[in-house]
Amino acid sequence: MKNDRRMIAYIIYIIFGAVLMVLGMLEVVDSFWSGMGGALIAMGAVRVIQFLRYKKDESYREKWDVETQDERNHFIRNKAWAWAGYLFVLIAAICAIVFKLLGQDLLSITAGFAVSILVLLYWVCYLVLKKKY
Amino acid sequence: MKNKIENIRKEQGILQDEMAKALGVSRQTISSLENGRYNPSIMLAYKIAKYFGMTIEDIFVFEEEEI
Repeated sequence: MKNDRRMIAYIIYIIFGAVLMVLGMLEVVDSFWSGMGGALIAMGAVRVIQFLRYKKDESYREKWDVETQDERNHFIRNKAWAWAGYLFVLIAAICAIVFKLLGQDLLSITAGFAVSILVLLYWVCYLVLKKKY
Repeated sequence: MKNKIENIRKEQGILQDEMAKALGVSRQTISSLENGRYNPSIMLAYKIAKYFGMTIEDIFVFEEEEI
């Protein structure tokens, strides 16, 4: 959290979220976009609060730095993403079969497509990382 | 990979919190290292060795069957 540019990005989130919400209230856009605006405002506000606390509170800054730089935390986060990816593929593949058996072809195709995209992304990432390391 | 971090730390009268702060890691990381639940990167192993004033081989014990 050392880069002040992030603060600008968070403020842009809030402004963009507010614009979406206003457009939603004026019925220019539907509730999906105004909901997304609300989420952007909430996310931006939380980040701005965290950023300001990081700047002012030394003990919070130390705690934050350890949390974000600790190599075991990095390891755990990467492992969690890997597990989430495996589980997603497994669940989506099961869903594709179950939906097909239930005659829900569109849902089955969607689940199968999600599996394909994730597997494709995995291979692209694998090849990129293989070149890098 | 076994290690002697807990013994060395206690011999030198260092608390987990103090060690964690000095190495820039969390106290849980020190605890996990001591319990053998987590193996450190070569960078952290080096930092630990430097912190104790020892070599990596003095602290970490490599076991052949791990290969």
